[in-house]
Amino acid sequence: MTEVFSAPYMQRALVEILLLAVLAGALGGWIVLRRLAFFTHSVGTAAFPGLVVAGPWGIAPQLAALGAALGFAGARERLARGDDEDAATGILLVGALALGALLASDVYESGAGVDRLLFGTLIGLSDRDLLLTAIAAVAALAAGAALRRAWLARAFDPDGVRALGVPVAWPERILLGAVAAAVIVALAAVGALLVSVVLVVPAATVRLVAPDLRTLQLGTGVLAAVEGVGALLLAYSVNVSPGPAMAVVSGAVFALVAAVRR
Amino acid sequence: MSLVRAEALAGGYRPGVDAISEVAFAAEPGEVVAVLGPNGGGKSTLFRALLGELPHRRGTVELAGRPAYVPQTERARLDFPVSALDVALMGAYARTPFYRRLDRGPGLEALERVGLRDLAGERFGELSGGQRQRVLIARALVQDAPVLLLDEPLSGVDAPSAASIENLFEALRGEGRTLLVATHDVRQARAWQKVLCLNARQVAFGAPACLSPEVLQATYGGELVVLPDGRTAVAVEHHEH
Repeated sequence: MTEVFSAPYMQRALVEILLLAVLAGALGGWIVLRRLAFFTHSVGTAAFPGLVVAGPWGIAPQLAALGAALGFAGARERLARGDDEDAATGILLVGALALGALLASDVYESGAGVDRLLFGTLIGLSDRDLLLTAIAAVAALAAGAALRRAWLARAFDPDGVRALGVPVAWPERILLGAVAAAVIVALAAVGALLVSVVLVVPAATVRLVAPDLRTLQLGTGVLAAVEGVGALLLAYSVNVSPGPAMAVVSGAVFALVAAVRR
Repeated sequence: MSLVRAEALAGGYRPGVDAISEVAFAAEPGEVVAVLGPNGGGKSTLFRALLGELPHRRGTVELAGRPAYVPQTERARLDFPVSALDVALMGAYARTPFYRRLDRGPGLEALERVGLRDLAGERFGELSGGQRQRVLIARALVQDAPVLLLDEPLSGVDAPSAASIENLFEALRGEGRTLLVATHDVRQARAWQKVLCLNARQVAFGAPACLSPEVLQATYGGELVVLPDGRTAVAVEHHEH
């Protein structure tokens, strides 16, 4: 085991997995309770064109992804009209993927780099990637500690929360912002299409059995860490990409827990 | 002194389209006011207006403090990992800073009052509909508000829960609180102190004696059948498919 993690790139991968597990524990429960799974996936996918241009333009991928995600949010705001919100989101996501693919293949000729942008590169992380994930994790923990009650009251009873005298609007914005930040920092490790593997699937799995919120959050963090390390070892031993390995492992665990629970 | 007073209250969810209008009433301490009306008649909209949540509102509303609101139990999430006590304690969120632990005492006391002290640790979603309704009322009790707005708290609840809720109403009256209770039950409304009839506009407000066949007909329109004795009216429930 120690031999596996002797190389610096594997040590960074391990640290990143543990930091992402902290993020998953802090936010994953809220994502599934607030039904923000599609939002989470959307931010990741919308960031894809930003990731494509980040290299050629010489800017930090997280910054480019943030710009693309903000552009997506603005366009969705303008296009969405009442019941058409999901349709507007879907159209924009297809557009983001198409734009990213076009930029990658025909404008910047990124070639094989597209795989890395879509599915991440857990074993190719920089110290800056780790630092950004650590900052996001600490911020998510702080926000969760301060706003736990407001988020819980809003998620449980959207109609009655204001009558409780609990603030709604700004805690909501902070939750969405924290989730978006978590997605952005996770992109380097798991790519535009697999952020849900870290931020949604472990929480959705633990939710099947968790009796209370604290168990959901702690369990999500632990499961995300175990699944991540397991997938990293699996990827190392059979020589496959860690991102898709994480998707397979976490998907299999979810299916197993769901089957046993029935 | 009225705990709730509305004058020329009107408003709705879109500009220029009133969901309620011409609402004017006052409720005194110790009164239970039945808010009668058909589905879509404005009962919930009135509560939104009193809570200050109606997007477009005209007229005046005076309240003795922030009212507590008890939603229909169907509106609450059943798949949530929270216990009955967790839900009751939400009533203390506004007065407890995030860095302080919640005092469980008021939550347990409120659950005791609604007869659910023994189920404090049960998951909210696993309780019966009537028990869930009582837990939501316990949450309002923890808020300790002078005015309670209850959205059809007796609809579809089991007999023990209905009896517990009605007994609680009497106890809250005795404490000088004012309750506004949205209901379809005309017979039940006659047992309370005041009735407020809504059908987009205010049809009537006063003692239950004002519930004449004409008032009921104007309130419910085609949704009401007045029986031959001239006093008994039956609201017809609509089920959309």
